[in-house]
Amino acid sequence: MSERREANAPHPRREPRIPGPLSLARLEEVFSDCADFSRREVYLHGDKGRRVVVCYIDGQARSERLNDYVLRPLAQDPMLASAPESELFDLMERGALYAHGAKRETETDPVVFALIDGSCALFLEGRDDCLVFPVATEEKRSVGEPENEPALKGARDSFVESLRTNTSLVRRRMRAPELKIREHIVGRQSLTPVDVLWIDGIADPDTVALLEERLDAIDIDGVEAAGNLEEYLADAVRSPFPVMPYTQRPDRFCQGLLEGRVGLLADGIPLGWVLPGTIDQFFKTGQDRAYHWLVASALSAVRWLCALITLLVPGLYIALVTFHPEAIPPKLALSIVAAKQEVPFSTIFEVLVMLLAFEVIQEAGLRLPGPIGATVSILGGLVVGNAAVDAHIVSPAVLIAVAIAGVAGYTMPSQDFGNALRLWRFLLAILASLGGLTGLALGCAGLIYHLAELESFGVPYLAPFTTGTRVPRGHPSLIRLPLPMMKWRDGPIQTRNRRNQR
Amino acid sequence: MKKCVIPSLLAACLLLAGCSGLPAAREMGDMALLRTMGVDPSPAGVAVTGSTGPRAKGLQAEGEGALTLSADRESLSAACLSMQGQSDSYVFFGYVDQLLVGEALAERGVRPVLDFFARDTELGLGARLWLVRGSTAREALSAGGDQGVDSRLETLQHDSKMGIANLTRTAGEVYTDLLELGSAYVPALSPAGDEAAVLTEQGYGILKGEALAGFLEGEAAKGLELLAGGPSADILEAELPGQRVSVRVTSSCTKSGLEFSGDAPSALKLVCNIQCRLSEYRQRPDREELRELETALEGQERLRLEAALARLRELEADCTGLGAKAAMVYPARWQKIRDNWPEWFSRVPVEIQVEVRIL
Repeated sequence: MSERREANAPHPRREPRIPGPLSLARLEEVFSDCADFSRREVYLHGDKGRRVVVCYIDGQARSERLNDYVLRPLAQDPMLASAPESELFDLMERGALYAHGAKRETETDPVVFALIDGSCALFLEGRDDCLVFPVATEEKRSVGEPENEPALKGARDSFVESLRTNTSLVRRRMRAPELKIREHIVGRQSLTPVDVLWIDGIADPDTVALLEERLDAIDIDGVEAAGNLEEYLADAVRSPFPVMPYTQRPDRFCQGLLEGRVGLLADGIPLGWVLPGTIDQFFKTGQDRAYHWLVASALSAVRWLCALITLLVPGLYIALVTFHPEAIPPKLALSIVAAKQEVPFSTIFEVLVMLLAFEVIQEAGLRLPGPIGATVSILGGLVVGNAAVDAHIVSPAVLIAVAIAGVAGYTMPSQDFGNALRLWRFLLAILASLGGLTGLALGCAGLIYHLAELESFGVPYLAPFTTGTRVPRGHPSLIRLPLPMMKWRDGPIQTRNRRNQR
Repeated sequence: MKKCVIPSLLAACLLLAGCSGLPAAREMGDMALLRTMGVDPSPAGVAVTGSTGPRAKGLQAEGEGALTLSADRESLSAACLSMQGQSDSYVFFGYVDQLLVGEALAERGVRPVLDFFARDTELGLGARLWLVRGSTAREALSAGGDQGVDSRLETLQHDSKMGIANLTRTAGEVYTDLLELGSAYVPALSPAGDEAAVLTEQGYGILKGEALAGFLEGEAAKGLELLAGGPSADILEAELPGQRVSVRVTSSCTKSGLEFSGDAPSALKLVCNIQCRLSEYRQRPDREELRELETALEGQERLRLEAALARLRELEADCTGLGAKAAMVYPARWQKIRDNWPEWFSRVPVEIQVEVRIL
């Protein structure tokens, strides 16, 4: 009983994780039952009296580097065989071996984690320390195009799973040394490196400190999904609305840093978060600054309009058709009456079922491979929809309303924000079916109340639309002004330097 | 705690404001949407007739004929309730946008009908009001046969907006005029006959107080339109040396002014500006000929205005609000004569000035 209680109780982190002095035997004990742990004995220049042991993790260390830069000099360099044993480590540390770095370690803990990161450890008989040489492999997915944020006019690279590649993609765009990158390790078992990036002198130091504080407070087993970070870092976990905007595109990420936001990159996750997140961030695309400002403004207005459409159309349809038919134009009302006459279900049931069917078809399309997914969408959307209308199971007006709401939802640049709207769409449809326009209006009021209480790292979620807080607001969020007129960074994110151009 | 308190307070406010009941749901599929309503007097009280206009049956079926319901009861609400029971669908009055009032009912008084439209939850004062001259509203509604008369009335409404039919008026406009001016004008229609099965325009009916006082037709009706500032498109013809030209009236604006002698009005001055466009001519008239033409047209329009004013003064009905508009610069004096204005209107000298401009 006490064992179970002990197992269920929160347990503190052990620092260092592997205590004790270093020895080859201790290292082998730590990596016992690890099939990928390898050790290799080498005679220095064939001298059987001088033996070194090289340890590494197979797959983490790159064979060519290990062979050429470590093992070959050990086996062939006559100087290593003739040098006094007391000077051997000094010689190897200072250039006898060709690795770009070398570090002498006396504790087990750093050596273990160096091996896991791809280094090799070199032990000499009779010594209780070792030399660690970085020979890590760089096998990773190459930088490709951002699939979720395609670029028609702009850079085509996207973040990958390798953290260091991602930071280099950022550093190549932001060459100023004011770009700071601070690394934190998250996850007891995964030990995932997570980097915080910001531009010193622009970003708010309090936001940086708050983010680092929250990162350090995360005590989980591993960071395997974006949610592992988001749900621990976000202020409002219960809200379906995302408060941490992310991007696959390094150019958008850098733009966020230039706006005074703080970036977050995690190893193994090909995304970058830009914090704090306000509602307007989820309506911006990477192309906004690439297009002409009039076009970008029009498209931005369309996206905001589509958000309202996807949110309100099903509820509005239910409210008008079921509770307030007098608000429908007469000719449209006559069409709806004619279409509804032979449909056996109530409008509320029709809309809710069609919304559900829409989600089912979408989910089925997502889970299947590309070509089959497209077939399912066509089969579900066109064939079944048309058959349902022909069989008078649903009225075409409902089908149109649900389809318009669904398609409008796809204009959202942020999938997370679109998902939140989908959830609220259901809620508003249910409220409209209970109280008509009154219910819908109450639901909208509730939504505004909910959004107004959200915060992201101390910044109100609705900051672009709030007034009276004595915080400078920055530029309009619904449209994009010509870039020469956008001279200010957003006020609510408390940048240290608001002016962004002359 | 705070999160619970605010919604609770909001809910309490809503309940205290009378929002305790949710609206009732009603499926549109089983609704009969009444588009036109007619009201006549009957021995029982009032005779109400409603028509849906042509209805579509199902998605791909042929259209059904107009559903016409009628009931004679002591009151309008009783008649409407009775009509509910006559249909196998829920009769919905929210789409009634044409209201026909029979001449007999108009002579008795339209106020109860307008009151009912103003207070009913489904009906509204946005419906167009028409006076059925020489017949009953029920006959006028049945003149449309299976197709109903709502399409004809809609056409007249749209034609009016384009200036090619009589001015139309909503029930709300008429109600407002009756309350503020004491009189109102309403477009009049009559069933054209069996073979035509349409309603034809018959000038305007003048309501005074709340009852029908008389009609304006022909030139007097045209004059009323000029006074009201919205002439239906009219073609005037005039002789010029060597040719006959036709002129189309495009717009008009009548301004009124009052002159006082002490506190009593001594003259009502009307200035009517009319804009026209040459529509038919053999050779474009020169400047002098145009001036001559304008003078001729001014004479014609003056006769119309005089005819309309003579009839209105005879009825003591300033239904276009000439006095009220003119008195806006003399609010104190207007207060003194306001109650007796209809009487003043019938005997105060009127000076008419017409200015025609051909574009």
